[in-house]
Amino acid sequence: MIRSQLFEHTPAPRSRRDFLAKAGFGFGSLALTALLAEDSAGADADPLAPKSPPRDASAKQVIFLFMSGGPSHMDTFDPKPDLTRLHGEKLPASFGPVTTRRGVDKNRLLASKRTFRKHGQSGIEVADWFPHLAKCVDELCILRGCYGDSVTHPESVYLMNTGSILMGRPSLGSWVTYGLGTENRNMPAFVVLPDPGGWPKGGSPAWGNGFLPSTFQGTLVRGGKSPITHLDSPKGISTAQQRRTLDFIAESNREHLASRGADSELEARIAAYELAFRMQSHAPEVVDISQETKETRTLYGLDRKDTAEFGTRCLLARRMIERGVRFVQLYSGDTNGWDAHSDLEANHGKLCQQSDQPIAALLTDLKRRGLLDSTLVIWGGEFGRTPMTEGTSGRDHNPHGFCMWMAGGGVKGGQVVGSTDAIGLRAETDKAHVHDIHATILDLLGFHHKRLTFRHNGRNERLTDNGGEVISAVTG
Amino acid sequence: MLILPESPAMFYCRFTLVLCALAACLPVIRAESKPEHADHWAWHSPKRPEIPVPKHSKPQQPIDAFVRVRLEAVALPHSKPATREQLLRRATFDLHGLPPTPDEIRDFVADSSPNAWEKVLDRLLASPRYGERWGRHWLDLVRYADTNGYEFDESRPDAWRYRDYVIRSLNADKPYDQFLTEQLAGDELPNRTADALIATGFNLLGPDMTDSSDQAQRRLNTLNDMTDTAGLAFLGLTIACARCHDHKFEPFPQTDYFRLQAFFTPAAFRRDLSVASPEDVAKHTRANAEYQELTRSVRESIDALEQPIRTRLFDAKLKKLPPEARAAHRTPAEQRTGAQLELVANTERRVAVSSAEILKELPEAERAKLVELQNQLKSFDGRKPAPLPVAMGLTDRPGPPAKTFLLERGELKLPAGEVQPGYLVVLSSGQRTVPVSIASSSAGTGRRLTLAKWLTQPDHPLTARVMVNRLWQNHFGRGLVPTASDFGVHGEAPSHPELLDWLANEFVSGGWKLKRMHKLMLLSETYQQSVNDAEAHRVAHAKDPENRWLWRMNRLRLEGEAIRDSLLLVSGQLNPKMGGPGVVLPTTAGVAGGSRPITATPDATEYTRRSIYLFARRNLRDPFLESFDLPDSNLSCPRRERSTTATQSLTLLNAEETTSAATALAKRLQNESKTTPAQVNRAYQVLLGRQPTSTEQTRAERFLQDSPLSELCRALMNTNEFVYLD
Repeated sequence: MIRSQLFEHTPAPRSRRDFLAKAGFGFGSLALTALLAEDSAGADADPLAPKSPPRDASAKQVIFLFMSGGPSHMDTFDPKPDLTRLHGEKLPASFGPVTTRRGVDKNRLLASKRTFRKHGQSGIEVADWFPHLAKCVDELCILRGCYGDSVTHPESVYLMNTGSILMGRPSLGSWVTYGLGTENRNMPAFVVLPDPGGWPKGGSPAWGNGFLPSTFQGTLVRGGKSPITHLDSPKGISTAQQRRTLDFIAESNREHLASRGADSELEARIAAYELAFRMQSHAPEVVDISQETKETRTLYGLDRKDTAEFGTRCLLARRMIERGVRFVQLYSGDTNGWDAHSDLEANHGKLCQQSDQPIAALLTDLKRRGLLDSTLVIWGGEFGRTPMTEGTSGRDHNPHGFCMWMAGGGVKGGQVVGSTDAIGLRAETDKAHVHDIHATILDLLGFHHKRLTFRHNGRNERLTDNGGEVISAVTG
Repeated sequence: MLILPESPAMFYCRFTLVLCALAACLPVIRAESKPEHADHWAWHSPKRPEIPVPKHSKPQQPIDAFVRVRLEAVALPHSKPATREQLLRRATFDLHGLPPTPDEIRDFVADSSPNAWEKVLDRLLASPRYGERWGRHWLDLVRYADTNGYEFDESRPDAWRYRDYVIRSLNADKPYDQFLTEQLAGDELPNRTADALIATGFNLLGPDMTDSSDQAQRRLNTLNDMTDTAGLAFLGLTIACARCHDHKFEPFPQTDYFRLQAFFTPAAFRRDLSVASPEDVAKHTRANAEYQELTRSVRESIDALEQPIRTRLFDAKLKKLPPEARAAHRTPAEQRTGAQLELVANTERRVAVSSAEILKELPEAERAKLVELQNQLKSFDGRKPAPLPVAMGLTDRPGPPAKTFLLERGELKLPAGEVQPGYLVVLSSGQRTVPVSIASSSAGTGRRLTLAKWLTQPDHPLTARVMVNRLWQNHFGRGLVPTASDFGVHGEAPSHPELLDWLANEFVSGGWKLKRMHKLMLLSETYQQSVNDAEAHRVAHAKDPENRWLWRMNRLRLEGEAIRDSLLLVSGQLNPKMGGPGVVLPTTAGVAGGSRPITATPDATEYTRRSIYLFARRNLRDPFLESFDLPDSNLSCPRRERSTTATQSLTLLNAEETTSAATALAKRLQNESKTTPAQVNRAYQVLLGRQPTSTEQTRAERFLQDSPLSELCRALMNTNEFVYLD
């Protein structure tokens, strides 16, 4: 199990006593004594116990706002006046051959219809689709020189989430919870809030645990009374009955344990049932936004039809971060999402309208609650889009150059790092491969990406595979 | 030391013998000095060790002699035997993945004959439930799933034939050398059978991005996947690490990887291998000719209407394909190269024009006519023969084999020199690069068959050791080599090297039969030890907490499949039907990302079949099994994780699987026993395989004063005793 894996530079979990005290275990001194007696084995049995990273770091939790389908960088956070100038012309020969998904390399260039204006003290230019987020621009570190490895959705979704274009490797959220455990055992450590319209292309492996233990996989959470699969007591079973049944299980298990001597796995399973019961009562509270003030609800746009859905999920993300969930991933856009092969204006216009205010609200709300410093917020999709047009009004996939941004969690805001070329086709200066972005995220959380490893089939696997350099400018 | 195969005159008399001139074709091969770690134990054939004699006991079974001698050396006791109830429960789960019935327990407890235990093992091994249980272990290793993965996650409608092949082979106790050979090279066997062809599906079970923008890269990904998996599953080596560079920890130069890959390069990746019997083919041909004759005129009329539009739509679709695929489609079928045939097969779906599409394009007047003609054609459907069965698998492409190149950093665009098929240097004669002689035949290049023959030589250093270690791991919870797919220098050393070698020798000399090995292991006193003998625990636990020296039996936990299947069995719901296409439960039928929904199996009685028959979707896994560490099926999984989480507890507490089983079991108990005390007694027997203690009896009766019987069942299904074996 975990203990036998090479887990360089990460100290053992904090003491079990500490963990139990935090988690508020209520199952009596018998089990507690037994657990303390076998501290090392106990750590083995509880891979989600909170752990400190090898280095002190301000970022402790992560929110990844994933713009599924691939938003256009030229129409959002990477203004390209030269593209406007060259509108309608063919891609100049000097750019050389370029691969895209649908072979648009010979198509004409398409100017952005957006207006970019400078905002904040930093004067960073942002498209007019983001009136709310523009006000937060001094919190953002915009990475304009990102690039990836594949022109297709699933490969790029996997790359951005797992560091490999091949499916089946552990996701970023899994790695982070493997490294840090979680502070709130009443909730899953790694929560995924997909768009109600559909999952990203590539499906659940995007938040899968790959070869890591399944403890670390993302758990789907939705709003409402039944946020997690199997959370509700079975139909017709009252809370009192559920408690009676659980008591019967606990009593049987304790007797079973007592007749078998100390066994950390049996003990862990007894504890897991107590956690399960608390999760049953706690999780609905976490997703219950009825107690939020009117001001907060308005801030997130819950009072407006177009922002209410994404706003609710952003608010849920804040509530979970507040309650110690380690990693929250929100998907914007259904299965097609931002994949604007045609009519980019309508597609992006709608998605920006839905997400701009909620995301700005999330940053604002985290900040005023003192959570932004310890919460890393990441915005981006699986790739950007081509400066060449597809049809008359769309853009094709572009993994050669695109933008993302980060905020909070020790990130130096109000700056732009890296750039694409004059028309936004390829990353050009301070280029950041997806491995570099992952290395930076782990760095912000206090890990060296080469040392957060898990031994699998004879290899010390890591998120960044054989690559990755920390983008030092991100922390300023 | 391993010797190359002797001239296989008897076997190969029908084939021409071709020697692949190898010579030093590779500038990249280093000057051949002895590789590093040349003396590592796993590179050398197992010698048959003498059975040692322990000082303080005289065990009947050789396995126990090896274990006891070690225990004596480290001054540890062994544990007393488990009770008969515990033993039967342990062995029944171990061999069937299901609990014993109260009657079976009663019979065994009452059987005073000296070979009572052996009779139990014979009974369990003879049951078809054995193949369903151990087939699942094998499917973990070969990354089995019923879909392609990636965006569209399309169904593989014939993957199940491989799953059934595995179950069938295990139940028939097919010798492992044959099992291995069929999977690597069943298509190249003389007198190949349908099963041997189906077996080659092994190579194609990994994920596959069918709509990749780079079909050459897609083919390489599949080749890599089959090379890696063969290395892990059969050799127990992490050869994949040598794809991009010389292995960092093992003496595998990068050339080793591509020499191994060269055995697979000539293969075409097929999804249309005919696996019908000659009689069925003849019958089908006859029926089809009749059908064609009957429908000739109506089909010709339809064609006349459809053809112009079909051509136009096809051309439009073809334009969207990459240039090499376009060229392949434009080449007349009989002139296509092997690669083109494959490319066409792989992209056919994307250029296919449906009748509905044509109908839309037709002028109004002709539309009615076409519909009428189609209805006429449909009226003959009853005479149309059902399509013949096909399977996924390999056959070598016709013509000279494609070249294999060493790829720098494993990248397709960086070929560095041609390589020929060859074995790992450390496992080759004299631990140096040796040319491999390969006999081609009408069935193919003979490369994969040569590889299989090398792997199944009686003195191969790894094949038998790796397999007996997998058996040991699944019986005892931990392998003699704990890293079951890593026997390299960097893997963990065997705890009992002589025992491992003795078992490997027994395996080969016994004709590579698995059932014989299961029985040997389960007959041992080591297997029959108690999990918690307090006396042994007091002395041994501090010295050997991980039970490396086998002073007790490890406590095993049921996998998700065993839990689900048990719930179905105890509640009388289990549908024992074997084989056939995977069952799609309504819970896993929906859309998942870019994948289309899959039609749920219409017949609800199928939903209660054993878990191994559930349709395995890569992008949407069964939530119940997933919460119990179902491996993700994208990579070979040598050993399942065993996690304990609150969400897992919630699943077993609240899932429909549990509640419906609890309700059904309660009904069954009420039918079988009229009084509450009797029902409680029966519940413990059915679920936990034993009588309740008086404390338990009292507690349960008290619980039933304000809770229904179904809740007692649900509670017991959630206890540690239900999911952990003593």
